Amino acid sequence: MYTIISPRLGTPGEQFIPTDGTNIVALLEGGLISTDTPKKSSKVKSEPKEQ
Amino acid sequence: MAVSATYLSNPAIKINGIDLTNQATNAVVNYVAEQLENTTFSNTSRTFTSGLFSNTITVTLYQSYAVGETEASIYNLVGSTCDVIVATTTAALTTPTATAPKYELVGAYLSSHTPINSSLGELSTIDLTFSGGVLTKSVA
Repeated sequence: MYTIISPRLGTPGEQFIPTDGTNIVALLEGGLISTDTPKKSSKVKSEPKEQ
Repeated sequence: MAVSATYLSNPAIKINGIDLTNQATNAVVNYVAEQLENTTFSNTSRTFTSGLFSNTITVTLYQSYAVGETEASIYNLVGSTCDVIVATTTAALTTPTATAPKYELVGAYLSSHTPINSSLGELSTIDLTFSGGVLTKSVA
């Protein structure tokens, strides 16, 4: 998934859906879109309680 | 008497999906079918048939090094292909008509770019030529 950064492509922050002929590499390197990376869970496992 | 006159009042240009309309000052769409000669001894005049299509779109853009502007949009396209759209009006980008068509060159190759093309006291512009690809005309 890609996110729009440049308003020349659409609304910044919205998902960018490339068409067949879109040069994704050029858009990424030009900083016009970004790659979404899945966020890691913020949950921290608690230590098991000693019994 | 002039039969018709057309001037582009508010055309639109998209390069690789990027709307660069407000940086563009010139656009030329060349729809070219190479001519192959097929004249024989039986002819008294030369005759030709169609060969490969060799389409190009040339555009002139104002150069801008600002974030997300001309340089960021074009620099990384050199040596690769993308789609280029030229519409006769801004509205024709989404809803072309017979009197306001849209032309799209799919898979156009950009071989060169001049990141710096400046003269003293003038706004910097760049000329780009996108070559090859399949040209389609949309009227609806």
